[in-house]
Amino acid sequence: MTRTEIRVGGLGGQGIILCGSIIGKAASIYAGKHAAMIQAFGPEARGSACSAQVIVSDEAIGYPYVRRPDILVLMSQDACTQFAPQLKPGGLVLFEEELVHTNGNLPAQARTLGIPATRFAEELGRKLVLNIVMVGFFAGASGLLPYEAVEKAVLDSVPKGTESLNLRALGKGYEFGISKLA
Amino acid sequence: MDALDLPCITHLKSGKGATIALAEPGDGPGLLQFYRAMPEEDRLVLKEDVTTSDWLDRFLLKLASGEAISVVGKVGGEIRGEATLHRTFHGWSRHVGEIRLNVDRAARGQGLGLELARHLVKRAIDAGIDKIVAHMVDSQVAAKRTFEKLGFHKEAELPGHVTDIHGKRRDLLIYANDVSHIWSAMESMLGDFRPDRATR
Repeated sequence: MTRTEIRVGGLGGQGIILCGSIIGKAASIYAGKHAAMIQAFGPEARGSACSAQVIVSDEAIGYPYVRRPDILVLMSQDACTQFAPQLKPGGLVLFEEELVHTNGNLPAQARTLGIPATRFAEELGRKLVLNIVMVGFFAGASGLLPYEAVEKAVLDSVPKGTESLNLRALGKGYEFGISKLA
Repeated sequence: MDALDLPCITHLKSGKGATIALAEPGDGPGLLQFYRAMPEEDRLVLKEDVTTSDWLDRFLLKLASGEAISVVGKVGGEIRGEATLHRTFHGWSRHVGEIRLNVDRAARGQGLGLELARHLVKRAIDAGIDKIVAHMVDSQVAAKRTFEKLGFHKEAELPGHVTDIHGKRRDLLIYANDVSHIWSAMESMLGDFRPDRATR
């Protein structure tokens, strides 16, 4: 059984939960896998610590919580401080490199890949699509899900009229993720 | 699926296919030819003298800098319509873009202008523009109808604001479309997203 535990962490307003939801939706609806998501956020809509736990598995998921994440997607320093020690040895850390500095609290053999997602989002026209750039980066760097599945999940999740920019944000993050692996 | 994928083919009411594409530097001679062939009375109310190579040089510079985004409509390889979004990256109106649309007389009433404007509005939203305006004079009935179909409404009327190339004063109509609500929906989704309540 292949079970991948993913923790997405950042601040309210960055689209953390939407990011987790798109990954879960891509896996469960468009990639024929199973997925579960648990969300956690503070009382404020914006600015408070926020995280999503996503499980992607080839089989039915009996326990929906993340214990030792295989993959961390980090968009704030607090999230890095809090979640980095939980990473599985040899796990993958994907982080927004202008907001997060990975420090010494990562387990051995952790692989870290950074992306200037905020800058990319601004260059595309809207800082708001930072989280979609991160989703694309996740898809490209992890190889966990087919791009087409993630693309469909994005189209299914974002408001009407914003599809084009969100798809460009997804593609930008994906290509950057692929290039980091090369 | 990217709704902004250009070039694309659109079918005009005449049954002919028109290619809608982003304008590129290589379209320069075709654009000059398009505007130079335009009857003088059609150029009466244009903001610039678009028949000069100086204008083309400025236009291509704006295309390169991103201050102008332009789409052209070609039938049989010749430009029959052109729409450009003009914007600035600084100042208090940096969220505003202005669309200018011109269609060859022979191609009017075929839906080409609407298609050009539609693609440009999408490009404008995509480029982070919150409010799109179009300036016209009251006699441009077809243009008013085109922009109204795309959600524009008359926001202001400035009497005697336009002097055409014959020196005649005309009223300037400002049509506007505030598209910021599209991104407000995304922003509120990010602020307080509940997957179980997500609707599109």
